[in-house]
Amino acid sequence: MAASAGSRPGWSRRAQYSLFFSFLAVIAGLAVGLILLMLSLIAPQSYAAVRGAALDATAPLTGAMREVATTVTGLVSGAGNYWDAANQNAQLRRDRDALMRRMVEARGILEENQQLKAALQLRERSRQSVAAGRVVGSSFGSPRRFAIISVGSSDGVQVGMPVRAAEGLIGRVIDAGSIASRVLLVTDRANIVPARILRGGQPVISTGRGDGTIDVRPLEVGKNPFKPGDIIVTSGTGGLYPPLVPVAKVVRLDDDGAIAIPIADPSRVSFAVVEPPFEPAALAAAAEQTDRTP
Amino acid sequence: MVRTALGAQGARLNKGPRAGADYVPALAVVVASLLALLPIVSDTGWWPDFGLLMLLGWRLLRADAWPAWWAAPLGFANDLIVGNPIGLSVAIWAAIMIAMDILDRRTMWRDYWIEWAMAAVFIALSEIAQWRVAGLLGADVAFNGNTGPAILVGVLAFPIAAYVASRLDRWRLGR
Repeated sequence: MAASAGSRPGWSRRAQYSLFFSFLAVIAGLAVGLILLMLSLIAPQSYAAVRGAALDATAPLTGAMREVATTVTGLVSGAGNYWDAANQNAQLRRDRDALMRRMVEARGILEENQQLKAALQLRERSRQSVAAGRVVGSSFGSPRRFAIISVGSSDGVQVGMPVRAAEGLIGRVIDAGSIASRVLLVTDRANIVPARILRGGQPVISTGRGDGTIDVRPLEVGKNPFKPGDIIVTSGTGGLYPPLVPVAKVVRLDDDGAIAIPIADPSRVSFAVVEPPFEPAALAAAAEQTDRTP
Repeated sequence: MVRTALGAQGARLNKGPRAGADYVPALAVVVASLLALLPIVSDTGWWPDFGLLMLLGWRLLRADAWPAWWAAPLGFANDLIVGNPIGLSVAIWAAIMIAMDILDRRTMWRDYWIEWAMAAVFIALSEIAQWRVAGLLGADVAFNGNTGPAILVGVLAFPIAAYVASRLDRWRLGR
């Protein structure tokens, strides 16, 4: 096939001019695109309103499709649950008994903990969630790791607020529309979470790797403190994320840190809960940080 | 022959382009961008950039699918829908249009493999640009974990976009 000849309009002066102006216009388009991109890089917050409006326009569509997908998956996995039900039942019963024993122990520890805290006169602020929504979509075609949740500024969500699920930490809000918001997941490279190892309490820094895993490094250089299977929880340092929220589980060690997988898988969690920042003053700091690296 | 012209099976005659045929390619690109709204929650960013694939499919099929400058507003729509940094697709898509205009003047011959190779180059450059912009925004991820697989998936998915574009082209022209 010969090359398409669309760009040769023949002798018509009018067609030639229109082609020429179209060429000028596409160059102008390129220039405008580069300027917009520069602005996104230098001052990302200047687009907050536009991005919020786009989220509001598109999220209901994703939400509706999500409902359909959930129903279909539910039908399939629901049918699967009946398969081998007797064995599953026995297994679940054993698990429940084991958990019951652990729960009694945990309750004892909790009471002891409360007495000790009362003795130390530590104040516990009551934690209230801002809003709870579903995770409806994600940025599945981009090197960034974002998720869309179905609550927005009309529910009280503000940029910078931490988002968690019952299982563990999901991330923090970076764009808030009025009915939907975009969450920077803990697996994103730009999301740095101050954390510690649950066993031993050594402080570590958790950074996403952009491919669904998390990079954890100890704050103090020295012997590698991680073991496969270690649970990483937030430390509460910095005041944005509340302490003791599970973040990740170590799966593999590398030279001075470890690779971990997130505990709250955003594709599986049923509800994402938006919480106020642990220390209210941290919201301003988070917004400032988002200004630099959204 | 006269009978064919008069008869009931005259479906093959008097069939011009459909109403709004000029806008079908641009609409197809916007619809492809909207595929990014599918409720997929993925831990990896390996899915292709559907809007870009459809844009390349149309532009490689026809030079006059739309006036070249339409790429800029189409890119803006893509940025808003997908959630890219605003301006990224505007710049990349407009640059692709200019590059394709230059390539159209230079190339003497084209076949399917050359088109696929051109699309592969554009997809790779676009993913690399996206990766570098993400790096500038503080998410400096490894090339192998994300961008490499995304380029591969995009290149392998391009024939589907090219097929859809050619079927839509036949449909809109009433052939």
